[in-house]
Amino acid sequence: MPTIEVPKEKWNGKVREITLGATAAEGGTRAKTVTVGGETTLPFLHFEGEIPRPPAIAIEVQDRKPVDWSPVLLEAWGDVTEDVAAWTKAAAEAGADVILLKFSLHDELSPDYARQVLRHVLDATGLPLIVFGPGQADLDNDVLVAVAEEGKGENFVLGVCEDKNYRTIVAAALAHGHLVNARTAMDVNLAKQLNILISDMGLPLERIVMDPTTGALGYGMEYGYSVMERLRLAALQGDGMTQQPMLVTPGEEAWRAKEARAGEGVPQAWGDWAERAINWETLTASTLVESGADIVVLRHPESVKRVRGMIDVLMSKSGVTS
Amino acid sequence: MYIIGENIHIISQAVKDAVAARDIRFFQDLAVKQVEAGAHVLDLNIGPQKKAGHEIMPWLVKGVQEVVDVPLSLDTTNLAAIEAGLKVAKAQCIINSTSAEEERLEKVPPLAKEYNAKLIALTMGKGGIPVGAEERVNIALEKLIPRAMELDIAMEDLLIDPLVLTVSGCQEYCPECVEAVRILKVAGDPPPMTNTGLSNVSNAVPGAMRPLINRTYCVMLMAAGVDYAIADPLDVQLKEFLRIVNQRDDSTGIGKLLLALYDKTAAMDRLTIDDVDMDDPEQADIFKTVQILYNDIIYTDSYLRV
Repeated sequence: MPTIEVPKEKWNGKVREITLGATAAEGGTRAKTVTVGGETTLPFLHFEGEIPRPPAIAIEVQDRKPVDWSPVLLEAWGDVTEDVAAWTKAAAEAGADVILLKFSLHDELSPDYARQVLRHVLDATGLPLIVFGPGQADLDNDVLVAVAEEGKGENFVLGVCEDKNYRTIVAAALAHGHLVNARTAMDVNLAKQLNILISDMGLPLERIVMDPTTGALGYGMEYGYSVMERLRLAALQGDGMTQQPMLVTPGEEAWRAKEARAGEGVPQAWGDWAERAINWETLTASTLVESGADIVVLRHPESVKRVRGMIDVLMSKSGVTS
Repeated sequence: MYIIGENIHIISQAVKDAVAARDIRFFQDLAVKQVEAGAHVLDLNIGPQKKAGHEIMPWLVKGVQEVVDVPLSLDTTNLAAIEAGLKVAKAQCIINSTSAEEERLEKVPPLAKEYNAKLIALTMGKGGIPVGAEERVNIALEKLIPRAMELDIAMEDLLIDPLVLTVSGCQEYCPECVEAVRILKVAGDPPPMTNTGLSNVSNAVPGAMRPLINRTYCVMLMAAGVDYAIADPLDVQLKEFLRIVNQRDDSTGIGKLLLALYDKTAAMDRLTIDDVDMDDPEQADIFKTVQILYNDIIYTDSYLRV
C-alpha cells in the first residue's frame, strides 16, 4: 500500500486567548474562569495545528420570565424562570460553562434594579458571566454601566457593542475591568473595523470578543457561516485585527424561527414540536461551532447536552468516543 | 497603457445638470482639461437616457470634438444613442460596452463592425460576474472573442474588460481581476486588448482614501499587461506612479517599491515586507494597500491605521 501524506496548511496566525471571569486571586469572586481561543488552525483540524480547548457553551437566562419565549423552552426550565437566581443555578447544573444574563425590556428596568439582579446572579453561581442589555442604546448604556461598576473586577463580557453604540460600554469595561462583545451584522469589513474602533479607545484586544451575528438554520445561517469562516481564515493568515474569539447566539436565532416557534398550524410531517425545535437550535449551533465559534449561547438544556456531545467527539483527536 | 478619461460621467451632479441644460461649454472645458492632463481617450457617460439619448450623444460628440481630437468612448446602454454618436464622430470611437449576455452580444458588436469602432466587452454573462480569473477569461474565450471573430472585428479593436470590483465588499475579486488580465494577454494569438474601470476598485471607500488604492492597483494591473484603464487623468499622483513605472525611475524609495511591485506582479510573484521601508510612512501605506488588494488583509475604512 502506498502511504498517503495528508496535506497540511502552514498558518502564521493564532486566535487570541481570552479569559472570561476572575477568581478571588484575580480580583473577582468567580469559582472558575473560562478561556477561549488559541486555535492555530481551522476548527478541529487537530492534525494540522492546535485546538487547545473546546468551544464554550453559554446558557442564556433573563432577569425575569420572558414573555416572548416558546412554551417549549419555558416548560423545559419550569418554575425557575420566575427567579433569576434559581434559573442561573439550573443553567449551571444543565452544563453551562458561562452564564449569559440578558436584561429584558420592561418598566422596572433601571440601574439600581440591574445591580440587584446582578447581585443575585453572582451569588447564585461561580461561573463567569456575559451580561447583555435589553438592546436599546440608551438603556443598554445605563444598565451596563451600573452592572460594570457593581461587578468591578469580575471580568464579565459586556454586550452588545455595535458601531452606533460602543463608546459608553467600552469605557465602562475599561474603568471596571471587563471585556466587551463587539457585534456587527454579518460583514467581515465591519467586524474588523469595530475591533479597530474599540481598541482605539484603549481596550486591549485581549478583552474583545467579536460577535459576527448569525442567522438560524434556514434563515441566513450560511451567510453567517461564510463570514465567520472568512474572519477565521484572515486570523490564521495573520490579520491581527480579526484574531478575536467569536461569540454567536444560535439559541436566540433558532428559537425565533417558525420551525421552532410554531406548535400549531404546521404540516404534520414536521413532527414533534419540542424535538423539532431542539433540533433547530442544535443544528444551528453545531454548524457554527464548525465555522469557528468559540462561544455559543444556547437556550434549551437538551440542546446544550447535544451540542456538548458533538464538541466532545470533535475534540477527541481520534474522532470517536465510546 | 492608455488612459480613458472618466470625468464626463452622469453620476456627477454637475454633469447631470450640464446635460439637462445642454451646456456644451461645460463639457468642452472638462474635455480640454482631461486631454491636457494626459488622457488618451475621453469617456462620455450619459447614462441610459432612454428618451433623448439619440440626440444627446451626437450633440456631445460634436461639441467635444470641436475642442479636442482624441478618440471618444461612447458610454451608454442606449444603442440608438451610440449609433447616433458614431455617425458624427471624426476619430475612431470606442463603444462602451457589450456584455456576454445574448441580447447585448447580438446587437452591440455589429455596430462596432459597421462604424469601425473599438468595442469594450465585459466578462459578465447572465449569471453575473464570476469571482475566479479563469471563469472570467472563459467568458471571453467562449463568448466575447468568438463573437468578435465571427464579425471579423480585429483583436486590437476588442477591449476585453474583466471588471474591477471594489475592495470594500468584493475584496476577493481584486487579485482575481489582475490574474484575469494576465491570462487574457497570453490566451489569444493575437491576444485581445484589455480594459479596466480602475476607479471601481475603490467604490464605497471614503473619498480621501480612494486615490491611493486606485494608483496602487493601477501598477498591479499594468504589470499584468492591461492596455487601457478608465481613470481620472486629473489625479496627479496616479500620473506620478505611471511615470515612475514607465520610466523605471528607481531614484527614490517609492520608485524602488513601485518597481518591485511591478516586477514581482509581472513575474507572478508577490511583494513582501522585505521590499518595503516601513519607516517611510508613504511606503508603509502602499504596502498596506497592496495587502488589501491581494486580499491578504481584510479591508476596513481604518486599514491604513493598523
